[in-house]
Amino acid sequence: MSSHREAPGISTDPVADNTDTYAFVSPDDPSTVTIITNYVPLEGPPGGPNFFEFGDDVLYSIYIDNDGDAKPEIAYQFRFQTSVRNPNTFLYNTGPITALGDPNWNKRQHYTVQRVMGQESRVLGSKLACPPCNIGPRSTPNYNALADAAVHQLPSGETVFAGQRNDGFFVDLGAIFDLGDIRPIQHLHLIPTPDAPSVDPLKTLNVHTIALKVPISKLTKDGSVPTDPSALKAVLGIWGAASRRKVEIRDAGKNGYATKESGPWVQVSRLGNPLFNEVLIPLGEKDRWNSRNPFGDAAFLSHVKQPELAKLLPVLYPGAFPNLQALTADRADLVAILMTGLPSGIVPGFQNFTGKTPADMLRLNVAIPPAKSPNALGVIGGDLAGFPNGRRVFDDVVSIELKAVAGATYPLVDSSYTPDAAVGAVSSYLTPAADRYQSTFPYLGVPHDGFDTPSS
Amino acid sequence: MERMNRRSFVKVAGAATGAAALVAAPPLARAAAGDEAKAIQPSTDVPDEPVVAYVRDAERGEVTVVAGATERTYRDRELAQRLSKAGSRQRGVS
Repeated sequence: MSSHREAPGISTDPVADNTDTYAFVSPDDPSTVTIITNYVPLEGPPGGPNFFEFGDDVLYSIYIDNDGDAKPEIAYQFRFQTSVRNPNTFLYNTGPITALGDPNWNKRQHYTVQRVMGQESRVLGSKLACPPCNIGPRSTPNYNALADAAVHQLPSGETVFAGQRNDGFFVDLGAIFDLGDIRPIQHLHLIPTPDAPSVDPLKTLNVHTIALKVPISKLTKDGSVPTDPSALKAVLGIWGAASRRKVEIRDAGKNGYATKESGPWVQVSRLGNPLFNEVLIPLGEKDRWNSRNPFGDAAFLSHVKQPELAKLLPVLYPGAFPNLQALTADRADLVAILMTGLPSGIVPGFQNFTGKTPADMLRLNVAIPPAKSPNALGVIGGDLAGFPNGRRVFDDVVSIELKAVAGATYPLVDSSYTPDAAVGAVSSYLTPAADRYQSTFPYLGVPHDGFDTPSS
Repeated sequence: MERMNRRSFVKVAGAATGAAALVAAPPLARAAAGDEAKAIQPSTDVPDEPVVAYVRDAERGEVTVVAGATERTYRDRELAQRLSKAGSRQRGVS
């Protein structure tokens, strides 16, 4: 998955598990950038009575590097607080929830947003309400109204939302983790079976979303709104992270069970490019990678230069990838796409170069306007507004990255290389339903309710 | 790493919240200093933002103190030995 349960440690801590990070120029408000970080992987919609929520003991952060040093100049931090209205019932709600202040809603969350720049921090909003989880027609009869009410315009100019949404990421999980199978071409697999359509298990699952819409002028180094895509200042590095306190003490004390935290924040999850930690970083280094910052990613450069998956594909699909099998040089194409950005002159009219420091960040060129007819394959599909120029919610990052690792992008750095014909057949083979997304903030679709989606 | 004697260490730790929770790492093999600690039943619940001290390296006498949003490691051989000895006495089924 993009980064759902991607590392041994974080897979046991879902509320802190950053599953996807997105960053794009808002299609309906192109003077702004929307950044989304998702948490709590694989939420089954009927998962009550304690429905999914953010962690009160987790610090959720969105980082922005606006000068190409792979260090954050700006951070947005989110802290949550859960309150229980009536501790004497087992129910999440004791009647229909028709408003965010509805007394029938028993267990709710509020949050605080803080913007940090250097040593200065400023609280932008506090006691901001999350919507409830989407339970069903009796409990959340007008879910859209609840979700809309949880979109908060902050006095400082940002727009925020935090709560449950439809998970926009799509991949045939069951196949890809069964020794790299791709169902529609599995007759070519080392262990062949008849071809079959791809299956998307995430299409009925939810996730918890932190969405932030920020005026571009509040993110660029000089406060401008760049219009020249070739300008270095037009590129922002963006990633998300979650942290926990150094010490947690569980206490069955005189006043009942409680946990108390202390100490500095320790990062336990991070995510820039989709699938980076999941696919490129080996098992024994994944949790260490999560604890590090992009500035130190040179330590992981070898895994990008010589990706394990590129060696596996010719083995798993015998005879299908002869050129990839013969390619022993370092993958400068993948290093550029994932760790430095593409400099000018590689793709006409495009660059998202942040300098030579190798770092896993989404790199968004904010001078490139949203596409009128988006292509889910992004830049390799001729759509310069899509991945790896940031990442939109509907971008088919599985197909893009599989194709890239399989050699599709190596001609960018070596024009003599010819990708294998099989690269064209490497794909997610999935087209998400239209209601997976929406055209306005927070852009991810309405979460599935537990009554109508009971068996995911 | 800062040098600190036990009196100043306790003063710093206690000043942060008025209460110090001491968490010891696995015991030292060597004999520890005076056996002054007395096991008791806690009189209160764990406080908010507890001050926590743990033996990071018993051989070197390094004790790390976590307090508020900070963490600092001190060298206090006597305290490290006392904590380690208390820890060794606690071994067994809890």
